[in-house]
Amino acid sequence: MLHPVIASLSGFSLLPSYTVIGLTLGGVYALAATGLVLIYRVSGVLNFAHGAVAMFSTFVAYQISVVAGVPSIIGLAAAVATGAALGFAIEFLTIRPLTGRPPLTKVAVTIAWLLVLQTAAGLIWGSTGYHRPVQLVGSNGFTVPLTNVVVGYDQLTIFLVAVGLSLGTSALLRWTSLGVQMRAVADDPQAARLWGIDVDRVSAASWMIGSGMAAVAGVLITPLLNFDTYSLTVLVIDAFTAALIGRLTNLPLTVVGAILLGLVQYYPKAFFSQAGLSELSTFALAIITLAVVFRPGLATSRGRA
Amino acid sequence: MSGAARSRVGLAVVVAAVALLPALESDFQRGLDSDAVIIALLVLSVVVLTGFVGQISFCQYSFAAIGAFTVGALMDGHGWSFWLALPVGVAAAVLTGVLVGIPALRLSGLLLAVLTIAVALFTDRFLLVTGTWDGFSGGAVPWHPERPSLLGAPLTGSYAYYLFVLAILCAAILVVWNLRTGKTGRVLRAVRDSELAAATVGLDVTAWKLAAFGLSAGLAGLAGALLAVRIGSVSPGSYDFLHSVQLTALATVMGVSTIASAPAAAVGTVFGPELLSGISVSSTWFPLLIGGTLIVQLVLVPEGAVVRTRNDIARLSRLLSARRGRDPAVAGASR
Repeated sequence: MLHPVIASLSGFSLLPSYTVIGLTLGGVYALAATGLVLIYRVSGVLNFAHGAVAMFSTFVAYQISVVAGVPSIIGLAAAVATGAALGFAIEFLTIRPLTGRPPLTKVAVTIAWLLVLQTAAGLIWGSTGYHRPVQLVGSNGFTVPLTNVVVGYDQLTIFLVAVGLSLGTSALLRWTSLGVQMRAVADDPQAARLWGIDVDRVSAASWMIGSGMAAVAGVLITPLLNFDTYSLTVLVIDAFTAALIGRLTNLPLTVVGAILLGLVQYYPKAFFSQAGLSELSTFALAIITLAVVFRPGLATSRGRA
Repeated sequence: MSGAARSRVGLAVVVAAVALLPALESDFQRGLDSDAVIIALLVLSVVVLTGFVGQISFCQYSFAAIGAFTVGALMDGHGWSFWLALPVGVAAAVLTGVLVGIPALRLSGLLLAVLTIAVALFTDRFLLVTGTWDGFSGGAVPWHPERPSLLGAPLTGSYAYYLFVLAILCAAILVVWNLRTGKTGRVLRAVRDSELAAATVGLDVTAWKLAAFGLSAGLAGLAGALLAVRIGSVSPGSYDFLHSVQLTALATVMGVSTIASAPAAAVGTVFGPELLSGISVSSTWFPLLIGGTLIVQLVLVPEGAVVRTRNDIARLSRLLSARRGRDPAVAGASR
């Protein structure tokens, strides 16, 4: 019998294929985190219900595509619509009336949404048990030239769609009229209002786009994990960790952080079979990020978190 | 009779009623009552942290788990007596709480809240998973701590155990109430309202925050240990992240700024699911009800149900006494 350490060294041969999975997962985190950062920057609210919105929308896609057998792309569209509708509902019904209230109150309201969506989904779809994933692309793939690493077309699609949408959001903020308005509201809502920007409309747009992105992330991640109402709701912590790496403001850095997180979550699995390693990695990365990136007052300088 | 004496008598009557009424109930119902008292203890831990120093936490059940699993491992795994294991469990929870609070040295409240989610998921999806540290989590077979006896009287009966946890809750409320009205309470409120101002007048904000974290985690750990012994087995599923979220929501609905929300939350958890089953809705809807209530309430009544009700009663009694032509200030003072 091999010594355990030597046995675990054989994990190195797994690294190339784990890189592929890690990148795919990281792409999905990037998408979720970008939505989170967009909402935080424009409306100043840390959305703790982000994962729950993704979860609920994903289960709508599951109901349509897996249970009812309608093509996946329609399920995805329905999920995005659900996500955007939820984002609008949260902003219009509960965030807008709380303008000027302490950040703690706004956080509490997003927690309430988390609880409502989580319980509702559990009642509708059952909180545990196996759910078949929403497969957008077939899982056959190709071998990377000169190596024996197999990349699934689904993995490639997930990565490209997720990273494309994340970077697309950066482009939207930079070059479109809505993007400029969003940045104006993010920098100073009152000045933006004076300049004739409809702050409420821009804020609602950020919630709808951000939540729609969460929905896409939720649907894309279904083939990657054994998904249920709980595991998708706690996606929020992965999004948070990536967003923290981007200081809750910098979108390209958030994408980089998300991909780093995906890899860090997957590499240890090549060497150890212990359950919960992803959570351990996320926890470690979150602590390191908080210790290194944030200094007193930095993240709160806007004062409206 | 003066107002203070009258309210003291009223309180004694309420406590006596709460202690005696379950004597008429079934064993099953008394078990639920004990659970509710334990939840009150957890809500109290939220009041200390959120209400006193303004810090939101999503890992109160992780602190409870530290208490529960320490007691479970020491009693079932090492054959310790409950009375030795309990203080160790509470101490372990306090230590964990201080550790989690240390990032408070440099993080704003919201980022710390994010960190507590990471702590909660780390605890219930890594630390307590079979294979990570079976000497603590019990591995595949959960711990089965047995109920102790107190001064020769066994606490195995449901009524005896209910009285035991009720006494602990009363003691905890008394301790926290004394802290709140004393110097500590003023210091903590200063820290909550403005850390900058508190630091300016020479308060060691960090130390007080850490102390609040320690106390809060200790209360949660105590509750966790009591719950472990009440159920008779310790499994990770009872202490996960969603329980913590539910607890935070429940405490916020009641109002985190007042100790009275702890007993109010207990009453809510006993009768809430009961009411739901009364109108032929499953009790699994209860979290939905809490969440929905919280949304509506934060928008309409942000200060919390208990505080609002008390303010309403105060306003009503002022109105009534004003109508009777008495001095409203006197009526207000005798409350």
